[in-house]
Amino acid sequence: MSLTDHWRTSGFRFPLGVALAVVAALILQFFLVYAQISDLDYRRSEAILLREAALLAAMPAAHRDYVIARRATDDLRVVVNTAGVFTADHHHVAGEMKGWPAGLVADGKIHRLVVTPEEGVPYRLDFLAEVMPDGEILVLARSLHLLAEHKLILRRASLIAAVPVLLFALIAGFWLSRRALGRVQAMYEAIDRIMAGDIHERLPTGHNRDALEGMAASVNRMLDRLEQLMRDMREVGNDIAHDLRTPLARVRAGLDRALTHSEENGTFLRDAVDRAILDLDQCFTVITALLRMAEIDNGRRRDAFGSVSLDEIIGDILDLYEPIAEAGGILLERVGPENPDLSVHGDRDLLIEALANLVDNAIKFTPEGGVVSVSLARKGAQIELKVSDTGPGIVPEERGAVLGRFYRSDKSRHIPGSGLGLSLVVSILRLHNARLDVSDAVAGGDPPGAAFTAIFPVSSPSGVQTRGNSIRLQA
Amino acid sequence: MMSFPSPEDMRSRLLLVEDDAGIATEISEELRSRGFDVTVASSGDAGLKCALEDSFSVMIIDRMLPVLDGLSLIETMRGQGVKVPVLVLSALSAVDDRVSGLKAGGDDYLTKPFAMEELIARIEALLRRPVDTRETVLRVGPLIMDLIERTVTRDGREVELLPREFRLLEYLMRRPGQVLTRNMLLEDVWNYRFVPQTNLVDVHIGKLRRKVDAPEDEPLICSIRGVGFMLRVSD
Repeated sequence: MSLTDHWRTSGFRFPLGVALAVVAALILQFFLVYAQISDLDYRRSEAILLREAALLAAMPAAHRDYVIARRATDDLRVVVNTAGVFTADHHHVAGEMKGWPAGLVADGKIHRLVVTPEEGVPYRLDFLAEVMPDGEILVLARSLHLLAEHKLILRRASLIAAVPVLLFALIAGFWLSRRALGRVQAMYEAIDRIMAGDIHERLPTGHNRDALEGMAASVNRMLDRLEQLMRDMREVGNDIAHDLRTPLARVRAGLDRALTHSEENGTFLRDAVDRAILDLDQCFTVITALLRMAEIDNGRRRDAFGSVSLDEIIGDILDLYEPIAEAGGILLERVGPENPDLSVHGDRDLLIEALANLVDNAIKFTPEGGVVSVSLARKGAQIELKVSDTGPGIVPEERGAVLGRFYRSDKSRHIPGSGLGLSLVVSILRLHNARLDVSDAVAGGDPPGAAFTAIFPVSSPSGVQTRGNSIRLQA
Repeated sequence: MMSFPSPEDMRSRLLLVEDDAGIATEISEELRSRGFDVTVASSGDAGLKCALEDSFSVMIIDRMLPVLDGLSLIETMRGQGVKVPVLVLSALSAVDDRVSGLKAGGDDYLTKPFAMEELIARIEALLRRPVDTRETVLRVGPLIMDLIERTVTRDGREVELLPREFRLLEYLMRRPGQVLTRNMLLEDVWNYRFVPQTNLVDVHIGKLRRKVDAPEDEPLICSIRGVGFMLRVSD
């Protein structure tokens, strides 16, 4: 269904629905009113019959029979349609009612019976049969024609009312739906433009604080986020391209030169190839890091999780990095008490890699004579693993960016690295439900130094430690 | 430049199971040029057939193979009682591969892309796996290491080492005359599976070398450019 078709059918459906609802309400109202009126009529008719019977019962038998036979009182002519007097065994004595109505019981109560005349359609009457003091039975009957009349009036009134009401409902429905669908239509058009590539376009929002507006605002927020993500992606893509292009350009230039000069000098060729391999390795480092991050982000590695002692990891990493720190004239130290019991549920190899990256990073940015310290502490429901240095620190505006992919501060362009170290750390920590916090090592210090804190949730002791046996079967 | 392999490895028979024809040719030509006798199989079932019918010194098996994948190949072969050391090759990204590769019965694991020297060094290592002797004293040339007393002497002069330096030297002394790559050292001595951003191993070796090789001594720990390190066996 095309957009305009949709719009058209909706434009009809809505007012039609409204009209149908109005008609249904009208019908319902008719029946309710009818029920009320008929109930009232019944009760009135009953009361009349009972009253007449009581009056007649009070008369002497002969006079009563005369009154019945001639319908001599006004009342009998107006309110009672037919009457008769019968003997106890239902034989006719007087009155225009010649036969005992089938199914009638002389119990002084109102009976609604269907009378079938010799010709014509059956009709209903309210009957009252009452035993008189002299033993004869008085039968009075009253037709329900008034009720039928009421019904007729009501029906006609309803039908006459239905036309303007329906018309009004249709017009109101059309107007409302045009208003609502007009806004939806504007949104469709905006979405069309977005799909056509105009990612800056947003859904129209006005001042009505209704559900549609709320949804439009929500969709707009989603679009903002997507646009931001797309921009990030494009930047990452550009960064990757740039980070690969530079070494590849060097490879190409080097090999090109080697080709022209190789005949003059054999070692020239070999050097060029050596350099080319180094540059290609750098490309692979970037690609490998990206793929690793993607893999870690996919989270499949949780299969290999176990209980990992952070204390032990710190010891190992300090042991590994101490000579490097020493060579750069930096003191690498463990501060704070040891907490051998602090363990997290995780992947040992990845956690080592994360800490190694943090320490590596800290050492790179710390000038000679500086200190890199590592501490581990439990704070409430969190375990904090902190690596701080006495380097230049990171200004608050750059803190979010340093965790992104390929970020290298302008000050650090001269320091080698893929620019992916910290984002790898973030990926690894995310896999462990942990996060990385960046702050000043010494607030207000000069230089402030940088502190990277990995914050882990305290793992539950029941943490399942399963190793993925299924791997063998997958292969 | 260093030359591989040492005479006792001459005509070592290798089986290479790799389905990518380009890589297979590259690797096999390189290995042949270094004196190995190389048989190439291009699918898992062909590889299994070779492995069961013939005997090899080392097998190099790619993880992803048509018909029968690398890990199943190794498991089947191990099930048949073939104990030949296996080096598993794998495509780039699989982090968990190493664990499953070793579990299936592989002896070492190498991720593509790799330097040819890295592959050769690992094949060498598999060819002469250190005999885990009961000996408590290791001797390489003028170096003597007492594993009980935790002492090292060179020409009778005591060399004081930190525990990590001791561990590193022990690894070297158990594999004298063998080229050891940075990754091998990082994996085996420190038990780390990642490639650090800094030349960690070089710094550690440098510190160890300054303690072991005095300026006037003939250097024992030598660097092999672009490959790694070796503890030289004096003649």
